[in-house]
Amino acid sequence: MRGNRAVALIVLLAIVAAGAWFYLSHKPPELGSSLTVYYTKLDGTTLGTLSVSLRPREPGESTAEHLRNAALYAAVQAIAGPPSDVQAIRFPPGTRVQDVSVSGATATVDLSKDVERQAGGTFGENGMFKSLVYTVTAVPGITAVKVTVGGATLPTLPGGHLELDEPLHRSDF
Amino acid sequence: MNWTSRFIAPIFRTLPFAALVAAFVLPAAADAPIKAVYLQQAMVFTHVSGSGSSTAVGVNDPGLRALLRAAGAAITWRPGDRYVLVTTAAPVVVSFAVGDRRYDVGPVVLQSSIAPFVQGSEVYLPFNELLRSLDLAVRPDGATWVLQPQLASLDVRSWGNRADIVVRAGIPLHPRIVQDGPGTVTYEFDGVGTALTGTRNVNAGGIRSIAVSQSGSARDPRTTVSIQLLPGASHDVPRSDDGRDLVVSFGPAGWTSQVPFAQSSPPPAQSNGQQSQAPSGNAQQAGASGTATVTGVTVAPSSDGYVVTIAVSGNAAFEWHRLRDPDNRFWVDVKNAQLQTAPIDQTEPDPVGALRVRQVDPATVRIALSLRGPKALAVSPAATGLTVDVGANDVADAPRAGSGSVGTVIASSEQTAPVTPAPGNESATSWSDAGNGWKFGPRSSYVPTNPRLIVIDPGHGGSDRGSSRHGVDEAGLALDMSRRLRDILVARGWQVRMTHDADVDVYQPNDSAHDELQARVDVANHAGARMFVSIHANAYINSGPYGTTYYISKPGDLALAQAIERDLSSDGTKDDGIVRAHLYVTLHSLMPAVLIETAFISNPNDFSLLNSPAWRQRVAQSIADGIDQYAAQYPVPNQPAQ
Repeated sequence: MRGNRAVALIVLLAIVAAGAWFYLSHKPPELGSSLTVYYTKLDGTTLGTLSVSLRPREPGESTAEHLRNAALYAAVQAIAGPPSDVQAIRFPPGTRVQDVSVSGATATVDLSKDVERQAGGTFGENGMFKSLVYTVTAVPGITAVKVTVGGATLPTLPGGHLELDEPLHRSDF
Repeated sequence: MNWTSRFIAPIFRTLPFAALVAAFVLPAAADAPIKAVYLQQAMVFTHVSGSGSSTAVGVNDPGLRALLRAAGAAITWRPGDRYVLVTTAAPVVVSFAVGDRRYDVGPVVLQSSIAPFVQGSEVYLPFNELLRSLDLAVRPDGATWVLQPQLASLDVRSWGNRADIVVRAGIPLHPRIVQDGPGTVTYEFDGVGTALTGTRNVNAGGIRSIAVSQSGSARDPRTTVSIQLLPGASHDVPRSDDGRDLVVSFGPAGWTSQVPFAQSSPPPAQSNGQQSQAPSGNAQQAGASGTATVTGVTVAPSSDGYVVTIAVSGNAAFEWHRLRDPDNRFWVDVKNAQLQTAPIDQTEPDPVGALRVRQVDPATVRIALSLRGPKALAVSPAATGLTVDVGANDVADAPRAGSGSVGTVIASSEQTAPVTPAPGNESATSWSDAGNGWKFGPRSSYVPTNPRLIVIDPGHGGSDRGSSRHGVDEAGLALDMSRRLRDILVARGWQVRMTHDADVDVYQPNDSAHDELQARVDVANHAGARMFVSIHANAYINSGPYGTTYYISKPGDLALAQAIERDLSSDGTKDDGIVRAHLYVTLHSLMPAVLIETAFISNPNDFSLLNSPAWRQRVAQSIADGIDQYAAQYPVPNQPAQ
């Protein structure tokens, strides 16, 4: 009898522990109230930062939608770059974020085809994608950025050097 | 002034006036189309709801789209989205969200009079707030809204004993000087209105006070900025690096502008996100603001030759280079620094030979020596500058480059991505960032089946010309340098395979970048080569960046890049170091690989180097030296018989 109770208690504790683990591991990350926007300086490698506010989750906005909206905001900030009097590597003029979606920890950022008009050097190409990846992965819960152009996956930009058909991580730069 | 206050100040200065206009002056016809004019361009807004300060405009409104195009702004929104993001020409991102009166202008959080809402499938935005974020004010002209560009901010930034006036508007500014002295300088800005009217006392940097007034009509406004100067004060001409911020520098009696008016290479950004605007002034102040000053350079005898003392106030990084004998030039660049003295160009006793000191670009002071032989050198940083000890004796195989910092602590809140690790510490080198880094080892586990084979990849070629300037393209330069490198390596007993030895595509003409790059990688991977070296010339959209950069992707690439960098770093342009990047060819080649961007085709000085056959030969020689050193340092394990 006492043995059965002990077994039941152990099972109950195991269920509670599993439930707690499941809750904690699936709990959406807190996005916080601010976002760090990175830009690559004209030395080609060093990052500068700006800080902007993140909106709190709106009523009726699901956790997933809020994460996607935060990633969208981050991507648009990264493409815009710092104010024009700050020297930074910038995306080609006219480059826009057409859409952002989030799957797991990867944000897919779809850019307009204007991004293909980059100057042709590794310098600008590496610097601009570095700022995008660092900024979007500054959103808690996102660790990688997949770049598409005009809705399509490109192995590289035309005449480019970076491999873009796999998600990019901070560790790639 | 930080980024936030830059936005807060103009917004809050104009809010009361804008609200007054919106509430009492604007046409009040509810939901009626709005006729407007912006820079002489007529436009009609038809997706309109509400009136006065509650006016909202639909994001799909043709008039709004036309206005955003004309103002250089872009909107990010698609049906069903809660967020509407507008990127202005500044650029700054303005963020709206359905149902939320909060809107963000860059880092500043504000409240709009109405919350964005959905009507049909379209989001409607508070019109007046949107216009204000574009630095536009509504000025009624009968039934027409004149969308008047505003001189939105006027800031005074003090730099020691001088000051910069920085003005910003919704359109590029073209000032006219209508009065210049005595004691007053007055600028007029046509086509720009302002709500910043009034007089403010400054009493700094030679400026006594600033008065702002507006005249003209709603459609043809004019803003006048009149600056009262302190006795003897002077100023330079207005300048703009970005076409939007206009800067005029002022200084007290005796001050002379040191800002080059036409900057081909703008100064680097400060860590707080603001551009370095500061020529020298008060050294302490300059140092504190992030810009150092070189206050003097002297040469004096020492026990073993001569010592060159470079006095630096403030914190600064420096890097030095020396060329190979018989060209025994040496120079040290003090970064983010201003030369406070006149340029120096004088002959010195042996072994120094000659001394030249120049502000070579807006942020770099160069001290150059023409040594009489390959003399022993010791560069020593200190809190007050650095010294260069020039010995009387010749030395062989002396280091040819180095770097460091002077001053106390180089303040930085920045993240620094990969930097070139210290030579000789390869096995312990690691680059990490936020836990995502990976360890570099001196070599990979790859074992080449052909350990005497090196694959050289001339960048671009055939239908892909790469970057170009004045009819000279990257493909031709890369092929030339690659051929020179091949000849040197073959003469030294290496086997060399070029991915292409003629100016052709490797895969096929007009192929995709992926197919082309994979074909180049295949050449090396299929042959089991020992190393893969890709030769390129870099480029950027402006002429500022210059230097040599070594791009790698895999842990096993680092030692090869370091060996080449050691020899190539004194190639006459700047050593931009080793940079980790997700490049296709270095990532997918199995063996140690490096992509060398030898110099910037977009930079005039680098371009002249690239155009020099002698320089290209020297580059090839240095790369070959680096390859030999790498091969000697890291012999192939279990090397099969050849």
